[in-house]
Amino acid sequence: MAAALQWTGDDDSGPVPVSLPPVAARTASSELPAAVERALWRGDQLGAPVSDVVSSGFPALDAELPGGGWPCCSLTEVLQAQAGAMEWRLLGPALRRIVAADQMVVLVAPPKHPHLPGLRHAGVDEKHLIWVQAETPAERLWCTEQLIKSAAFGALISWIPQARPEQIRRLQVCAQGCDGPVFLCRPLAARHESSAAPLRVITALDVDWQLRVQVFKRRGPAHSGGLSLASVPGGLEAILTPRLAHPSRLTPAREVPADALGSPVALVETRRHAPVH
Amino acid sequence: MLWAALLLSSRLDGTPPSTDALHGLALWALQFTPRVAVVDEAVVLEVEDSVRLFGGKRALRDRVRQESTDLGAGALAWASTSLGALALARAGIENGFKKPLSDLLDGLPLETLTATRPHRTTLSQLGCQTLGQVRALPRGGISRRFDADLLTALDQAYGQRPPAHAWITLPETFKARLELMSRVEMAPAMLFGARRLLMQMCGWLAARQAGATAFTLRWAHDTMRARGVGEGGGLTIRTAEGTRDIEHLCRLLAENLAKVELEAPVLDLELVADDVRPLEVASASLLPDAVNKGESLNLLLERMAARLGPERVLRPVLVADHRIEWMQHWQPANEYRANGKGAGKGKAKSKAPEAVSMPQPTFVLATPLRLAMRGPRPMFQGPLQLLAGPHRVEGGWWHRVKDEAGERTHLVRRDYWVAMSEHAGFLWVFQGRLAEEETGWYLHGTFA
Repeated sequence: MAAALQWTGDDDSGPVPVSLPPVAARTASSELPAAVERALWRGDQLGAPVSDVVSSGFPALDAELPGGGWPCCSLTEVLQAQAGAMEWRLLGPALRRIVAADQMVVLVAPPKHPHLPGLRHAGVDEKHLIWVQAETPAERLWCTEQLIKSAAFGALISWIPQARPEQIRRLQVCAQGCDGPVFLCRPLAARHESSAAPLRVITALDVDWQLRVQVFKRRGPAHSGGLSLASVPGGLEAILTPRLAHPSRLTPAREVPADALGSPVALVETRRHAPVH
Repeated sequence: MLWAALLLSSRLDGTPPSTDALHGLALWALQFTPRVAVVDEAVVLEVEDSVRLFGGKRALRDRVRQESTDLGAGALAWASTSLGALALARAGIENGFKKPLSDLLDGLPLETLTATRPHRTTLSQLGCQTLGQVRALPRGGISRRFDADLLTALDQAYGQRPPAHAWITLPETFKARLELMSRVEMAPAMLFGARRLLMQMCGWLAARQAGATAFTLRWAHDTMRARGVGEGGGLTIRTAEGTRDIEHLCRLLAENLAKVELEAPVLDLELVADDVRPLEVASASLLPDAVNKGESLNLLLERMAARLGPERVLRPVLVADHRIEWMQHWQPANEYRANGKGAGKGKAKSKAPEAVSMPQPTFVLATPLRLAMRGPRPMFQGPLQLLAGPHRVEGGWWHRVKDEAGERTHLVRRDYWVAMSEHAGFLWVFQGRLAEEETGWYLHGTFA
């Protein structure tokens, strides 16, 4: 009996040296010091990452991402049906911030050649871009891992179409030591595989100049539905006329013949032939 | 005074170590102190003044012990005199500070002091077995019966007379040879021997406050080799920034050696520092430095270039041209530093405002892709909707190239359009002229 008393006594004083405030007081967040508040996660909140974040540049997306931006010490998977269709439109605003902070953007195995004059519209300049042409899946993984381990970049975008879950897990473990966001661009089919990346995002094209983004894995409650983010690529804002602001309205219904009067192609044709005749 | 004696282990057949090996060890030791000397088969160095620079006695001792073992040193001893340290090293006692030095030395056998060797017989007939017994003999008698060297050496070992050494001087260039223990048939296996040479080179670089930007590893083939196989081979490795980081140099060498195929077994290695530049090392800071966490990006890029090939780790340079293919030029990242500050940058600056105002795709295809047509409409994953254009790009008659088909020019005459595809997003397509009066549509880039 003495032993039992001893034991319970230990239990009270040992692990919890400070007596806890009553439950009612604990729910009021203002009671807690800021440091404790930050470390505390409640079931109804988005998980707050311990690391820094880089704002994605889209307020609607920031609101859905834990911590309010792309996480810096972990992997982010960007899944899309076709590689090389909308990466810069989605990531450009975040990269602009990173380059503005004088840090490097490293690309590993992009599906097409990056075109610097266009990337300048996304804020990436020549002094802050590196292109690593890895080809085989093993090379892509090796380069990505070495870069992540070095932690010497501002942002890393790596196109890894084929990777096993344990390889992604390995990258994620390494990524916890680096300072910048790491984006893995992967095909849409990868959504059926499990992945160690704490944040996974599906992107698709939406009508007009919008991107459809769904955060389908994150720390916190599941994200239902998707977001529509307006993003005009490559400096096209400058030439957008009111008519071009909604290109979907220009698309003729399927029945209309392509060279009917008023269709853009017909306009092109007449304009091109005009000087000849 | 803090003296260290490094005893080079003798070779397998019992012969004393070669002068090359001794000299190599001495070169390595010069990074700790300029007071390094070769005594018999050992290297002695005085490091009292360097203790703080290398982080305290314990850190210095650990480092010397570990690196000298890698270099093949057999025994190591510390004492307050050079000959004393050497005697302790021969006797296998490492720490000469746990008791007064004279107490330790008194118990050592005669062979530990070189100067006793000529008089070994006489001394043993006198009944002297240890240094202490020799020291107990009357000094006047020793100097009369034996030569003065014995007394001098004894005094120097016990610290009663200052040591006189011929200090090793730092050579202007670095070149070191190593005979491998056995014949090496695979190139990556040479790394073990090469690492020793690299350690010597890093010691030499540290003593010169310099970093290497190029070094050459040469190997000589064994004399037993097939006819038609040359004398040997070599590998020159260049780095963008001068460095004397042994790990980085070793990794670079390993990546390069992995690609080498040896024609015959190798017995001899030689390492030469080709290009050496002064190097400023980061000074040690009281406060923890957040910057130097990982490997620096330049070092990493070099390592990746060594594995993938330098033409596959690239950095862009803008060029003042309006044809998409020549708007930018991708340069190997390790050459970028040299050229990027010169002409390339100047051009980019003058061109910058114009480039920003024009819409440009973010991805381009290496070669334009001919599009299929349905009637007058170009198709790419479904019909394309042309949104804006045409943007006429014409020119290039001045850009002459010679290939197997003869001299021709990169003349382009294209009308670029922004096109929308339902599945592929916004594309940069152009209509170009073909032979005769025909035109063709091509996909050239993506506004991704």
